[in-house]
Amino acid sequence: MKLFFKMVTIVAVGAVALAGVSFVAAAEQINPAPSEHDVIQGARVDTLSAGLVTRVAPGELLPISIKLSNFGGGRKVDVTITYGIYNSDNQAVYVTSETVAVETTASFIKTIQIPFDAAPGKYVAKASIAYKDQLVPATTDFPFTVENKMFGLFQSDFYLYGGVTFLVGLGMLFVGYVFIYHRKKTRLVLFDYSEIPHDKRVFFELLSDTIFSIRQRVGDRALDIAANIDGLIIDKKTGRVLKITKSPSKIIASLVLGYEKALGQKVSFSFRNPQ
Amino acid sequence: MQNQKTILIVEDDENFREIVAMSLGAQKFTVLQAKDGQEGVNVALAKHPDLILLDLSMPIMDGMTALKKIREDNWGANVPVIILTNLNATVETLVEDMVTNKPLKYLIKSDWRMNDVAKVIEEVLGK
Repeated sequence: MKLFFKMVTIVAVGAVALAGVSFVAAAEQINPAPSEHDVIQGARVDTLSAGLVTRVAPGELLPISIKLSNFGGGRKVDVTITYGIYNSDNQAVYVTSETVAVETTASFIKTIQIPFDAAPGKYVAKASIAYKDQLVPATTDFPFTVENKMFGLFQSDFYLYGGVTFLVGLGMLFVGYVFIYHRKKTRLVLFDYSEIPHDKRVFFELLSDTIFSIRQRVGDRALDIAANIDGLIIDKKTGRVLKITKSPSKIIASLVLGYEKALGQKVSFSFRNPQ
Repeated sequence: MQNQKTILIVEDDENFREIVAMSLGAQKFTVLQAKDGQEGVNVALAKHPDLILLDLSMPIMDGMTALKKIREDNWGANVPVIILTNLNATVETLVEDMVTNKPLKYLIKSDWRMNDVAKVIEEVLGK
């Protein structure tokens, strides 16, 4: 009578949608007393997790990969496999069984439909095998979660993605608001030239306000044109008039002409200090 | 209506002048009209309006010359004047005259609707 190992391995892989869990239930090698029927004696079950998470919605299918191996002996053994879904209170919400004939190894996928009325929560899928002259039960299980879906996404994902999207949107709105506010602030405030002597101040103000008003209408092109007027030195970012080195009236007339030629814009003036 | 403000419109284009007069009249202003610069100076110095709306290109006397004459008067030195013209200030002498005689505003006709001009006038006279 030859000495042999009998090993039972159940591999159950929950692979629903995006996630899956695999576990291996392996019977320990045993050293049975030899018999003419090659009786499979005591088995040990080990579970190995692949580290993945299984989630499934009510009504969806939960595939379980089953692998039976090392029945050995060169003869077929009828093995009854019982599948069960248990809630967190260890109450069975679904149980079924089937019998397969295994000679040495067998692999197949069993699909279990999660009941439509299954409440969201944590569940355990269990598989156990039974065969003739079995001395030690071999079972294995893996946990999974039942979760409702919203718009095709699991609820928690929906809230997560929705929250992230909302926050990103909020952030973009805030950044946009700050950007626009800053641009408006820098564009809408007339520059103060109180440090310029009174007799020259009116020209600074006229030039500055002219650049300002045209910039309001055509954007930063107004700055580019002003920056190219001979005798006029401006801050190219803000439009503030820094220096006038030639006849102010001529510079104003040149600027107005430049705007008319380049932009087709005529220029209205407004004096700051009415008489 | 003792508080009703008087506005003098100096404009050679009769149609435009009438439109402006009607618009300002609807805003409860008393409106005086002059068809050229010389008539404008005469009416201004005689009636002392609260504000003058002045065109630049006019026959007999242009608007800037009229403004200079008005500014030479004691009353006229400080009367608010709004230039309403189609003449873009692209000539150095025009800019110099503008700075010297200080109209309150220099508005391009094509850029301004009458309602907006009326608002500007209300703002000026409301102060």
